Amino acid sequence: MINRRTLLTTTLTLGAMKAFPGLSYAQARPLVFATFTGSWEEAHKAVLVPAFRKANANASIVLDPMLSVDQIAKVDAARASPPIDVMLHDPGPALIAIGQDIVEPYPIEKSSYYKDLITEAQEPMGPAPFFQVVGLTYNPDTIKTAPTSWGDLWKPEFKGRVGITNLNSTLGTGWLVEVARMHGGSEVNIDPGFKALEALKPNLAAVAANPGALATLFQQGQIDISPGNFNAIQILKARGVPVEFAAPKEGAIAFKTTIHVVKNSPNKELAFRLIEASLSPEVQTTLMNSPYLIVPTNSKVPMGGEIARVLAKDTAELKKKFVFQDWKKINEQRSAWIERFNREIRV
Amino acid sequence: MAAASVRRDVTSYGIGLAAPLTLFFLVFFIAPLVQLFVLSLHNDTTGAIWGIGQYVHFLTDPFSLSVLGSTLLLGAEVTALCLVLGFPIARLYHRVGSRTQTLIILIVLLPLLTSVVVRTFAWIVILGRQGIINSTLLSIGAIDTPIRLLYTQFGLVLALAQVQMPLMALPLINALGRIDMNLEDASCSLGAGSWRTFWKVVVPLSLPGILAGCTLTYAAAITAFITQSLVGGGQMLFMPMYLYQQASTLQNWPFASAISIIFLLAVLAVVAVFGMLSRLSRGYGGA
Repeated sequence: MINRRTLLTTTLTLGAMKAFPGLSYAQARPLVFATFTGSWEEAHKAVLVPAFRKANANASIVLDPMLSVDQIAKVDAARASPPIDVMLHDPGPALIAIGQDIVEPYPIEKSSYYKDLITEAQEPMGPAPFFQVVGLTYNPDTIKTAPTSWGDLWKPEFKGRVGITNLNSTLGTGWLVEVARMHGGSEVNIDPGFKALEALKPNLAAVAANPGALATLFQQGQIDISPGNFNAIQILKARGVPVEFAAPKEGAIAFKTTIHVVKNSPNKELAFRLIEASLSPEVQTTLMNSPYLIVPTNSKVPMGGEIARVLAKDTAELKKKFVFQDWKKINEQRSAWIERFNREIRV
Repeated sequence: MAAASVRRDVTSYGIGLAAPLTLFFLVFFIAPLVQLFVLSLHNDTTGAIWGIGQYVHFLTDPFSLSVLGSTLLLGAEVTALCLVLGFPIARLYHRVGSRTQTLIILIVLLPLLTSVVVRTFAWIVILGRQGIINSTLLSIGAIDTPIRLLYTQFGLVLALAQVQMPLMALPLINALGRIDMNLEDASCSLGAGSWRTFWKVVVPLSLPGILAGCTLTYAAAITAFITQSLVGGGQMLFMPMYLYQQASTLQNWPFASAISIIFLLAVLAVVAVFGMLSRLSRGYGGA
């Protein structure tokens, strides 16, 4: 019989099940993988997740894309029962996550692929399945000769045409370190970088609040040249936006993207297997090819296609041509840099 | 059901009816706010040492204060623009036929029906180098090279004003609707010009609506993180982005908490001023 009381009870129960989905599951929750938004999410949804499910009897997995820093905040807020099982990190946030003791050491002895990774990717607290590459991105319609150096951003002909991003992002911070290095500085001496930034001001058309906004600015013709991420522009290119990538002669920056098992995860075994899948030559080969163009870290994966053409023919050349930065040192001073950037760049 | 036969005063309700909402607020709003406040009273990033260092840092740092100042100023500019643009629309609304009224309401509400992200991207397209404004000015020969509109304070105020316009226009339409039109006619027939009638009759009577609209617009404009960062860009720093930087990129939660508390108090102070003005105006408007 339906009366007010039973109706109320039913409504409340249904509401509670909706609000606390944990109630409705008898078994553990699906594996939660916090990937990055945008091209990363697309690539992982299309390649990594199907490969993982195929190898693990269709285990249920949920992608929860968000920024590294947000992943850390979420896990830190619920350390005992973290809402995420596998985290993906840029080098700076990875060190923060390790420092805050929210990730597990990777079970290297169990891993079939860890030993095949190039040495830079072998991180005991979470290996790097991919590299992100940062170089110069430019509009080939307005800039006929491809830029060859970070220094080209300072050329007078690019007055009011240059875009950069602020230091909130790995991209912006890493780029400033390279600018400092070009002028005799380093990860511990950023001063020359800031001096150069002051000289760049006449050329600046935009300081984007995040790297994603740079894409929009290219599309709108607001900027013609900027430091940029190799993967991020592939989407734009595929959509017909005139934008090209050039590796500067000082060396394109390679950021390790590391993948971690979250401490206290209820799905540690599945988490391990997802990471194994991401390190496997099969997944890395597929992700290296068009349209994803993600740089592999497994030395058994031969470089091919656009990556071999623009970036490096093999891992030996990759190591020689790419700059790997010391994020431990960067992290020590990053907040001071952000503060200084805020002050000096503000209009 | 038998208990319903007990006679009770039907004109008053027990405050028990407010209990669910009160509970909801206590758990999901007051408790986190208290937690935030407690967190802000720590001098180190891990939250182990108690102290008011974060507040001292903010309040003695000219840079932080200028970020707060420019945020409050931004709100004032957007509110002023909304008021100037919204008032005529609200006045027009009460002078036209019902079909046009529906049209006006639709136009006013339209921004609310699309996501703020979409609206903000539209503004990027409008204000951009190859955007509508620049290409129009170029084609009529008013300018030779595109002028910079995106990532400027002017562009940001413009975009925010459009995004927040409904919050101003709706209370204004409501307030102006409650003014007896005969009062204006009386004022005119007694010899006041139209400007004098406007300032002495219409404005005072619509003050409650003006203040409600201003409060809503102001609060929305200064906290509009998405529009501020996408149209304002990285060279303009306002409180929401400052807060985000500290909390997210730098994981400095105590300082971020202190920023939010200070921001909250600053906004409350402004809202309190509006509230006080609206109480003073009740002598006119409530009549």
